[in-house]
Amino acid sequence: MSHKGDKKEYAVVVRNLSFRYSNQDANVLESVNLDIKRGEKVAIVGPNGAGKTTLLLNINGILRGYEGYIEIFGRRIDGRRSRKEIVRDVGMVFQDPDDQLFMPTVFDDVAFGPLNLGLSEDEVRTRVKEALRMLHIEDYEDKNPHRLSFGERKKIALATVLAMKPRILLLDEPTANLDPRSRSELISILKWLNESNDFTMIIATHDVNAIPDIADRVFVLNRRIIAEGTPREIFSDAELMEKTNLEVPDVMKLFELLRCFGFNCDELPLSIDDAVEALTKIIETSDGRHIHLHIHEHTHHGVERLRERWKYEHHL
Amino acid sequence: MVNEMMRDVDKYTALNSYIHRFDPRAKIISFISLIFSVVFLSDIRTTALCLAVSLVLLIISKIPLRFTLRKLMFPSVFIIFIFIALSLTVPGEALFRFYIITVTYEGLYEGVLIVLRAFSALILAFLLVSTTRFDDIIKALNSLRFPKPLTQILMLSYRYAFVFSDEIERMLTAMQARGFRMEAKMHSLKAIGKALGMLFVRCSERSERVYEAMLSRGYSSEIKTLSNFNMRAVDYVLCMLFLLFAVFLHW
Ligand SMILES: Nc1ncnc2c1ncn2[C@@H]1O[C@H](COP(=O)(O)OP(=O)(O)OP(=O)(O)O)[C@@H](O)[C@H]1O
Ligand SMILES: [Mg+2]
Repeated sequence: MSHKGDKKEYAVVVRNLSFRYSNQDANVLESVNLDIKRGEKVAIVGPNGAGKTTLLLNINGILRGYEGYIEIFGRRIDGRRSRKEIVRDVGMVFQDPDDQLFMPTVFDDVAFGPLNLGLSEDEVRTRVKEALRMLHIEDYEDKNPHRLSFGERKKIALATVLAMKPRILLLDEPTANLDPRSRSELISILKWLNESNDFTMIIATHDVNAIPDIADRVFVLNRRIIAEGTPREIFSDAELMEKTNLEVPDVMKLFELLRCFGFNCDELPLSIDDAVEALTKIIETSDGRHIHLHIHEHTHHGVERLRERWKYEHHL
Repeated sequence: MVNEMMRDVDKYTALNSYIHRFDPRAKIISFISLIFSVVFLSDIRTTALCLAVSLVLLIISKIPLRFTLRKLMFPSVFIIFIFIALSLTVPGEALFRFYIITVTYEGLYEGVLIVLRAFSALILAFLLVSTTRFDDIIKALNSLRFPKPLTQILMLSYRYAFVFSDEIERMLTAMQARGFRMEAKMHSLKAIGKALGMLFVRCSERSERVYEAMLSRGYSSEIKTLSNFNMRAVDYVLCMLFLLFAVFLHW
């Protein structure tokens, strides 16, 4: 299945992956297929219990007893033999930082991974410094994780993984449970990581608003892969959104509403950045250098339809 | 409760005193040998001497007295309870009688001895943990070749004692928010039983995830740490003095 070309090109290849927890009757994952190119940033979305975390754990080689085939940089992962390679290549940031941070101080926690890679003491120290600096948390070295806020712990959990310099970064709901400011900060960190590093990222998330900013491609998972495409392709598929209980980003909703008021754009912006670009382009190319909105008979009807589609009306 | 007792034992580890600067490894050896020495003493005067030394060390450490008293209150009550029990129950020459209660000379002697021993050991142990950062204690134990499984357990317990006690607190709050009251009624007891069961499930699930997270960062049966300990001449000398004193007490 792996051709020579694949080895260079693909970071992660998953074929017909099925997985069942030993204490459950049904498969949590059912013939999942993924091809993720080197350097690609992909998001995995799906409802609670869809198996996102399970999929990430499988790619990280932690769960035993899967059926199918998983390949990291062209090498199949199977059993104990390649554990070391996986640890070197793949880093995972867990959903709950309290699961990840177990040492008495931040320094020890961030140093834990690099030490396990067998790096020299000096190298470990510089890596810890670097990782903490990247996230602007240099002062936290001697702190006890318990005394830090959830957002701070989340950043430290990310630092513990970045210090290992993985080539593939798995993030399990990086923006969940953060206050709005910490969330924005984390998204900008991820964007920055995206631009300044050539690693591959797989992000499991419910945060549809963040997806256009941090991912080039989206997989919709619900036990099996239901759909796959660019954020635009996925969010434009109204039927898919309805079927999988997914929502489109707020910016996209807003512009769809504006359409009912006569705003004319062929491509709905997905993110704030997109919106700025789209507005600039439209205003600059219009005659009077302004945009024009109006209310016609069809406006109310259109708005009603959208509100219904987005479930803003509750009917008994 | 765990939270209350543990939350700030290390509040004053950042002070600067001779005890704080004492190398953690040397400190552990010194204090532990002194503690062992004192608990086997059977002479009141030497034990009193040891208590005096512990108190002097406590003063040198600059740990605020109020903090010390607050932290030692709970164990002190326990010690005093034992003292009372001993002086009333050890048979021997009666010192005085009070209705059915008889205080004996032997009982009083034993009691005083126990109190002196216990307070010395308690103060020494308190000094050790309140002047040394927890991670330094662990690292020191590691470099003293303390069995690895034990230091790992200590390390994980330290972190997760906080996490779990938070979890208990959250659970209690959630129960109280829905009208639960702690009463000696069947209904209350049942609720507590179920909550405890739930807590157990949560803890065991958490431990699984923690283990997975450790594996994913390359854990294999050993938690490696970096330390920057640096034994100076003064640490060796101090440690020698402690050891000599510990032996001298038994001369
Ligand atoms: N350790 C486990 N043992 C048994 N069953 C599990 C375990 N972990 C998860 N499951 C089950 O597997 C299914 C998928 O769980 P998973 O955590 O992968 O979903 P998820 O997509 O990450 O959900 P969420 O969005 O809530 O994080 C769920 O039905 C869950 O109950
Ligand atoms: Mg999950």
